[in-house]
Amino acid sequence: MQVVNKSLERPTPSAGTDPIVVEGLSKTYQVTDREGGFGAAMRSFVKRKFRDVKAVQNVSFRIGTGEIVGFLGPNGAGKTTTLKMLSGLLHPTSGTARVLGFTPWERNSGYLRAMTLVMGQRNRLSWDIPAADSFLLNQAIYRISDADYKRTFDELNELLELAPIIRKPVRNLSLGERMKCELAASLLHRPSVLFLDEPTIGLDISAQVRIRAFIKEYNRRSGATIVLTSHYMADVTALCERIIIIHHGQLKYDGKLADLSRRIAPFKLISVTLGECSDCDLTPYGTVVPSESNEASAKHSVQVKADEVATITARMLAELPVIDLTIEDPPIEDVIERAFHE
Amino acid sequence: MYILKLLSTSIKSNLQHDLAYRADLIVNLVLSLIGLGSDLFGLSIIYANTNDIGGWGPSELIILLGVWRLVNVLMNMIIWPNTFNFNMSVHDGSLDYTLLLPVNSQLLISTKRIVIWHLFDFVIAIGLIIIGLAHNTGITSPLQIVAFLGLTLSGTTIIYSLWITLISLTFWFTKFGNSIVIMSAVLDAGRYPAHVYPFWLRALMTFVVPVAVATTVPLQALRGELQWWQAIGFLGIGLIAVWLSSRAWIAGLRRYSGASS
Repeated sequence: MQVVNKSLERPTPSAGTDPIVVEGLSKTYQVTDREGGFGAAMRSFVKRKFRDVKAVQNVSFRIGTGEIVGFLGPNGAGKTTTLKMLSGLLHPTSGTARVLGFTPWERNSGYLRAMTLVMGQRNRLSWDIPAADSFLLNQAIYRISDADYKRTFDELNELLELAPIIRKPVRNLSLGERMKCELAASLLHRPSVLFLDEPTIGLDISAQVRIRAFIKEYNRRSGATIVLTSHYMADVTALCERIIIIHHGQLKYDGKLADLSRRIAPFKLISVTLGECSDCDLTPYGTVVPSESNEASAKHSVQVKADEVATITARMLAELPVIDLTIEDPPIEDVIERAFHE
Repeated sequence: MYILKLLSTSIKSNLQHDLAYRADLIVNLVLSLIGLGSDLFGLSIIYANTNDIGGWGPSELIILLGVWRLVNVLMNMIIWPNTFNFNMSVHDGSLDYTLLLPVNSQLLISTKRIVIWHLFDFVIAIGLIIIGLAHNTGITSPLQIVAFLGLTLSGTTIIYSLWITLISLTFWFTKFGNSIVIMSAVLDAGRYPAHVYPFWLRALMTFVVPVAVATTVPLQALRGELQWWQAIGFLGIGLIAVWLSSRAWIAGLRRYSGASS
């Protein structure tokens, strides 16, 4: 992706003013609670029982200008609720948040003009009309001048290759094409804070790659601050140096992705392909990881402590008929899965 | 100016939507003409057998029909399609996007879908009012016409405010937006003067779904049957209704929790 102009660039806010500052944010929903069955339904009709669900509990973090932060957690962890509070859709039960100096849930129009929320599972565009017409409606809503609109559209068109698809009714677009249009519609007003809630969900691999590349390039050109949730670890590893992990509404980890591996999973995987060796036993070297390939395969993996890798590798090379040997970090999915439950 | 630009863009976008369904457009125009013919035919049969309905002559009933059709234009052009849109958007969570736009959200949910071809019904309604006024010999002062126009606008605003209040209740009671069906049923009674109906229906038309305030009251002003303070009172009720409905909408938004992801 080639950079041809700089029109998305914004002045950098003064040092020390983080665009996103969250302090002790909590959100509790009250939900009706009843058992299944007709009797329970009748009882619930007469006397309704309610239960508090603590979706987000006392979460605090700061995000600096231009950062792309992965906001991770299993389903129901509180990611979307947090994003909805930060974008202004939900009022918190307690706590404070300042985004670009605004309190989000006051929905100040200055704030709404400076941020965007993209939800991979929701449609922003009108179904029956071409995306180009929805773009024009957004131009009127965000009061974008014709010159700015043209400049931004041209740039988004260059990055997302929109021209062939924006004249078709949205209902006739593929999922990937629709997501490109959704992203463009969300960015026409050049927001400086982006909340992206699973922007690649349901897309095929090549569409995921294109959307990832676009997000990275948009961030590079505009210096926008981006908070991203995704269940695809490829999104996270490609885009986010820093991640925040939330589980059961509580903040579990806030730091560099690379540091998480060292902290949560201080081990490495040594994969070896062995020559003729029918009775080779790998258990003295570490924990043997079950192979996903067929049992007859000569490739085996052993999990060892990170600080013993050099010694054990030397022993394996000396004691076993090794044809090939690689040392890998554990899969990021495993590391994050462990972080959820730690 | 900004609001007008926004509205004109929304109307253009909705027009493009309607033009995509040409057959619908033609069928609905024909249906509008059939509806008008049927209303006028009904009135002609009634007036062939009597000189007045509740003391009102044919020209007054034609004006009433025009005002009633005006309220129906509001219902069919804006309230019905946007009720459907609103219920859908609460259900599928797309209301989130509407609420994040830097524009008054009540205005947005009221104008997201405008069925443009109902402008034809609007022209018919205005035409009926003009024809009725031209044939009405009972108007003695221009103030009566001013009061009539002001109260028609105020009455229509009250109906709109009632709708906003009803859909705001969706934030507390799921699917409450469907109560618009009841509102629409009562509105049907507005094509005749409220005082021809029994007391209970008159009360329903005045205090629950105030269609009588939107249709009969302006005609009463035109006939010189309203005191000035009554006219001012009804105009005031219109303003209070607008204020209350916007409060209900804002209170509803505070309760909004969105559809789950």
